[in-house]
Amino acid sequence: MKLLLVDDSGTMRTIQKRCFLQLGVQEKNIAEAANGQAALEKFALGNFDAVVTDWNMPVMDGLTLLKEIRKTDKAVPVIMVTTESERSRVVAAIHEGVSDYLVKPFTIDTLKEKFKRWVPAETL
Amino acid sequence: MLSQSTHIAIESRKMDVKYINPFIESARNVFGTMLDCPIKRDGISLKNSTSPTYEVSAVIGLSGKVCGSVVFSLSRPVALGIVKRMLDLDTDQINADVADAIGELTNMIAGGAKASFAQYSMSLGLPNVIIGRNHLVLFPGTVHPLCVHFQTPWGPMALEVGLDTRSVDVQTTVQTAQTQSV
Repeated sequence: MKLLLVDDSGTMRTIQKRCFLQLGVQEKNIAEAANGQAALEKFALGNFDAVVTDWNMPVMDGLTLLKEIRKTDKAVPVIMVTTESERSRVVAAIHEGVSDYLVKPFTIDTLKEKFKRWVPAETL
Repeated sequence: MLSQSTHIAIESRKMDVKYINPFIESARNVFGTMLDCPIKRDGISLKNSTSPTYEVSAVIGLSGKVCGSVVFSLSRPVALGIVKRMLDLDTDQINADVADAIGELTNMIAGGAKASFAQYSMSLGLPNVIIGRNHLVLFPGTVHPLCVHFQTPWGPMALEVGLDTRSVDVQTTVQTAQTQSV
């Protein structure tokens, strides 16, 4: 399984990465980007099974990243990471083709349950 | 949580505890979920100083019908302890990584509390982390902030909340008066 983690917070990328490593994803299969533009460039080069993205980021935000991804890939799971207060914005993301959302704070079990819907069970 | 019977006598504007409880609950949730760490509320006081309680401050501005600031104030040992737990990062320096982690934690606390204020159309600013002794954080002049004290496994921390709720409280008062006059 190949993942792309997108967040301008190094903290959140580290936390997410640690969760996925604990779930058995190999470190070489986890790519990171600090904004939507950098993520888009990596997405074009890679063959990712899923994208996990924050909403508020400099250069290119998560919603714009989602729109750009969906221009070329309608199928790849894109999971939006939000705070509790931003749930209403997820509705806007649903219109643009977001697959699911993950509310922070979250536990590794919550993250695993979210991803079971989108990736093969044996991967996690 | 603070009960309705909690009274804090102040000379200026009294902030209803209903505005504080969401922040307390959110802080507990964030620490419990992200850090697997229970925190214990250890008192509440009026904030009478412009200096934050401890040397690391994460400040988030709130705007909307209810506006003001929330300051997450941490001592150095608590900040470093949080980072160690959150990122498995051993450091004795309050550096950019520490500031990012504390800012993210504060963002989650404020975000979780904001959900309780949905009817007030509140917006959150990005957290700013200030480090160093004797720095000042000024709240809006119309409010008298409250300081909620907590105990963590690494030491004490505080959540300072100063909100201007006049527009909301006046609206509620008017609605109540209108209802009573019917």
